[in-house]
Amino acid sequence: MSRRYDSRTTIFSPEGRLYQVEYALEAISHAGTALGILAQDGIVLAAERKVTSKLLEQDTSAEKLYILNDNMICAVAGMTADANILINYARQAAQRYLITYNEDIPCEQLVRRLCDLKQGYTQHGGLRPFGVSFIYAGYDPQRQFQLYQSNPSGNYGGWKATSVGANNASAQSLLKQDYKEECDLKEACGLAVKVLSKTMDSTKLSSEKIEFATVGRTETGKVYHHLWGADEIDALLREHGLAKAQDAEETTESAMGNAGYAENRTET
Amino acid sequence: MILKNFQAHGPSPAQADRRALRQLPSASTSYQTTTQLHHRIYSLVHPIYTHQTAEVLLGITGKDFTIIAASKAAMRGATILKATDDKTRELNQHNLMAFSGEAGDTSISQNTSKPTSASTQCATRPPSPAAVSSFVRSELSRALRSRRPYTVNLLLGGYDTITDTPALYWIDYLAALAKVPYAAHGYAQYYCLSILDKHHHPDIGFERGMELLRMCTDELKRRLPVDFKGVTVKVVTKEGIREVEYVDDKPVKSA
Amino acid sequence: MSSPFSINGGACVAMTGKDCVAIACDLRLGLQALTISNNFPKIFSYSPSVYLGLTGLATDVSTVADLFRYKVNMYRLREERQIAPRTFANLVSSSLYERRFGPYFVSPVVAGIDDGGKPFICGFDSIGCIDFAKDFIVSGTASDQLLGLGPEDLFETISQALLNAVDRDALSGWGAHVYIIEKDKVTKRLLKGRQD
Repeated sequence: MSRRYDSRTTIFSPEGRLYQVEYALEAISHAGTALGILAQDGIVLAAERKVTSKLLEQDTSAEKLYILNDNMICAVAGMTADANILINYARQAAQRYLITYNEDIPCEQLVRRLCDLKQGYTQHGGLRPFGVSFIYAGYDPQRQFQLYQSNPSGNYGGWKATSVGANNASAQSLLKQDYKEECDLKEACGLAVKVLSKTMDSTKLSSEKIEFATVGRTETGKVYHHLWGADEIDALLREHGLAKAQDAEETTESAMGNAGYAENRTET
Repeated sequence: MILKNFQAHGPSPAQADRRALRQLPSASTSYQTTTQLHHRIYSLVHPIYTHQTAEVLLGITGKDFTIIAASKAAMRGATILKATDDKTRELNQHNLMAFSGEAGDTSISQNTSKPTSASTQCATRPPSPAAVSSFVRSELSRALRSRRPYTVNLLLGGYDTITDTPALYWIDYLAALAKVPYAAHGYAQYYCLSILDKHHHPDIGFERGMELLRMCTDELKRRLPVDFKGVTVKVVTKEGIREVEYVDDKPVKSA
Repeated sequence: MSSPFSINGGACVAMTGKDCVAIACDLRLGLQALTISNNFPKIFSYSPSVYLGLTGLATDVSTVADLFRYKVNMYRLREERQIAPRTFANLVSSSLYERRFGPYFVSPVVAGIDDGGKPFICGFDSIGCIDFAKDFIVSGTASDQLLGLGPEDLFETISQALLNAVDRDALSGWGAHVYIIEKDKVTKRLLKGRQD
């Protein structure tokens, strides 16, 4: 029965569903988990990186976390190739706004731009929808820190804590349980690794398997975003006792390094 | 090659052309002569760049306000068509645009007022004076290199409700933008800027601002060869935009 | 006087020193002899060690500065690294030549320190022909006056060179910005200059 309706994105099934969009959502639910948590003084994004082979070149750049603009970053779950198209589109939209208004694009406006594009592919003929969900973290002077999520249908919404990708239902319920409205960025980072450690397949985490980023403000009020380095992630994991077992001599205080929290960042 | 030679005779196309041609698979024959190039370059600016009018636009900022004044005479050449013209438009609650120039081209105020209002910005607050001025400048500069550029000079008076500061932007028909404490357009620039240079201070109150405006309009009445029929005066403050009663029927003794 | 390059006035100079470069511009915006603003900077930063000075038609100074901000921001996001001065110079060149038959009326000057810590300066004409230089580059309505002054103590030299030049030119002046760019330090100074 569904055969008649699921080859095209633009046709509703008799039950009022758009199968291609649902298949896209299904594809995303197999991708690595990504989550975002809104804190009082910033936002943390964390994502699971699926290491498929030892032979794979460990890319130095992030695979699931991207900078969109000076005031905004995003986490991706789904098809990376599709995501690249959308991210490039978002970056250009943000820069176009900057050139006309000489100020950063308001977060919601950028999210909406991207979602309008996504929506187009659920309606206009013969094209496959984008197989990606995003979590956006950003700051603008009007609404301060904001966290959004969007999916292939072009729907978006603002969240306090949210997740996409594999096991997102269990991640979501963990977040619901443990999220505190008045938490600071440091606590949010702790919650993020805790949730990831429970939703990921492997019990012990390492910087190879996760990516981490924060948005915050420096003491002078300047917005910064920071994709964490491997040493910063490892330091955070050690702090929460989630790191892989290390050689004894390596775990001395001096070799620990600093987690990439706001207070460890130098003013730029 | 010393760079100054390029400026002395306008840009020298030969060297850059040679460089570009080297990069082409085969030599192109489609490049223009120097004379043709110069014609195209200068036609953009030359015929209109001295364009100055007897239409008066004035702007003065102070501690917590921006005053905008615009002459009431609608002029076409040497003829006054109307003596109650309002050359201003409220772009949004805290941004006022004053314009002078070719009659039809003042539609810039309509073309920019919709995109700068609150409703189209998906935001709770209308855009700041800085954002509005950048937007207007980008509209104007895009049009500058189109088939039909605007030939209007603008002043943008505003009040930034986030930083609680007044703002005044000077924009000419070439889309040059400058944030200034006080400004004028047309022949009024030559008479009023020197007065304001001498008397203006960033901390002045509204009363003093109006006194400065009076000094300016008196000087204009004394010096300008045409009657600009007085000015409409509007002021932008934290509370918004309001029109100010401005009596200027008193004759000014000529120098 | 009808040249679009000299309507608004302005001056810019860049010089190299030992492991450092300096770039300076005046602050005037004018309409021929009339001064509109004395706070119109003409130097723009595109990475911690890449600076662009733009003199010429004020509208194109803003347009070109914004255009390069767009292009460099996209470059940085795509490449995930800062743009190098030499790369930026070629970007300026090709972007200006794109408008070969309807050019932006600007005379750009690039100053920066490259990855190896070596000083880099160059100038362009309005359609993108690069003028590489070892010592100094000038542009703007005061360029005639800037030429012929030698580089010694860099800040002092560039400041004196610029101030003396703009004092002799009616279309430039009203204060200046001077940037001294070293490998991992940039010093920006405001020169008050004559305000009359």
